[in-house]
Amino acid sequence: MAPNRERPYLYVLPEDDANRQLAIGFLVEYGTTRQAMMLAEANGWHEVLKIFRDVHVKEMNTNANQHMVLLIDFDGHAERLQQAKTAVPGHLSERVFILGVLGEPEDLKKAGLGHFAEIGKALAKDCRNGTNETWGHDLLRHNADEVDRLRERIIPNLL
Amino acid sequence: MMKQSKLALKVRKRIFPLNRFPQPCIIFNVIRRFYVHNFRCLENFELPVSDKPSALLIGKNGSGKTTVGLAFEILQRIARGTNRVGDLLKLKDFARGRSDVPMRFEIEAELEGRIYGYNVAFELPRNFKELRVLEEKLTADGTPVYSRRAAQVQLARSQEKDGSFRIDWHLVALPLIQEQSAKDPLSIFRRCLANMLVLRPMPSLISGASEDDPTLHPNPQVTNFGEWFSGVLASTPSAYTKIEGYLKQVLPDFKDIKNPVIGTDSRSLIVQFSSNQGSLALPFEDLSDGEKCFVISAVVLAANDACGPLLCFWDEPDNYLALSEVGHFVLALRSAFRSEGQFIATSHNPEAIRSFTEENTLVLYRRNHLEPTLVRPLSDLQVNGDLINALVRDGLELPQP
Repeated sequence: MAPNRERPYLYVLPEDDANRQLAIGFLVEYGTTRQAMMLAEANGWHEVLKIFRDVHVKEMNTNANQHMVLLIDFDGHAERLQQAKTAVPGHLSERVFILGVLGEPEDLKKAGLGHFAEIGKALAKDCRNGTNETWGHDLLRHNADEVDRLRERIIPNLL
Repeated sequence: MMKQSKLALKVRKRIFPLNRFPQPCIIFNVIRRFYVHNFRCLENFELPVSDKPSALLIGKNGSGKTTVGLAFEILQRIARGTNRVGDLLKLKDFARGRSDVPMRFEIEAELEGRIYGYNVAFELPRNFKELRVLEEKLTADGTPVYSRRAAQVQLARSQEKDGSFRIDWHLVALPLIQEQSAKDPLSIFRRCLANMLVLRPMPSLISGASEDDPTLHPNPQVTNFGEWFSGVLASTPSAYTKIEGYLKQVLPDFKDIKNPVIGTDSRSLIVQFSSNQGSLALPFEDLSDGEKCFVISAVVLAANDACGPLLCFWDEPDNYLALSEVGHFVLALRSAFRSEGQFIATSHNPEAIRSFTEENTLVLYRRNHLEPTLVRPLSDLQVNGDLINALVRDGLELPQP
């Protein structure tokens, strides 16, 4: 029954528990939608890509309504986005979003942004209000292009 | 959709007798303090939920999660009118039968911008067969509304001689004191506490049948679901829109719920489903256990909008649900209570646990049955690896007193 695959839907695949908590904070703030669903933590960014390739590419090939957010840690490597994107088949790239903290989510806490749920909530508020107060943080601003796509394609249709 | 006009008028009169209009919503923010002492496994126990719109209690079987709900229920039952101490508590409710120490319940909540505090303590003097009230006090912003010691009650609103009176020390004063108006602090606090939802539904016992006696007060097993459904709609007919909206998301072929009269002063809920293959009307009692929980959740969400904001304590809301539903179910409740009201759940279910974060997950634990429940926020604990795996292998490192 969940989600309704006749309509656009979103799976969120987090690298680890910290990313899961950020996403939960985001989803709780944004309000309920059965069209977004949190998947189990992959335990590593390589694992995120592996699970995506092994499980979800096939699903996305058979259902054009499926979208995915891959939450990974960049571990100080901003170029990881391009590396990760090579795992996404070209015909699915419009429906896959790769986001993450430049270091790791714990760095956001250390930077004084609050606990994970608060940070997720602030990111959701930015998306809702069209602002960049939290997304514009040094540890997050490298996501700008992906966030713009998210705002354009996901926020209005799914959340 | 239910016909609202005559039924609504009739039930509104029943809920709000003597032409009293529905009283204004009470703006409940969050519990600031909840303290229990010498009640079952809760000794000197304080639940740290003051800054949390929603919280999850986890812990092993017997750690005290359900007992926290029972403690809320004691206060709720007092506010709903149970005043005889013997109907609320028994000797066995003292922690390890320790009846020489008073049993205490203390709650502090922010309501309509004011801080209300209510304390009640019970004791069992030697040669008594029934517990009695030792002391009781209600305050608003620190100012006493009334205070009581054994049988002697002092109303603060009157320092005159008649502001003091005696009552049976086997009776709790809170439900007995006459309120002066709907804005009376006593009235506000009592309504808030009475409207609190303490839920541990038993779907197999929920038939959907009801006497024509609508209420805003479901019992913990929600066996009076029909009356509660009618009460919420009678109080705020527009609540049906919320119920319908939720159920159409969860059950795509849901059409409507009707509550037709089936006898003298009796009704029975009928749920209608419809698709391009046709339609089907099912008595509520024939829904699956999980489907009944969806409808209960829909009414909780509607009640929080219509009659709240509320405090909702739900013991294992994931019971009876398919794995694919648990996350949505819990997140819907958390989202609904995020800005007003408070949602507290217990769970053993991995999907429910993963729908919370470490700051709003509280771990309850006991060393053994002779020791009291302890509580720590998950964020204060060192979790080695994945939380669910740690719970499965009983590997949480818990500090001992």
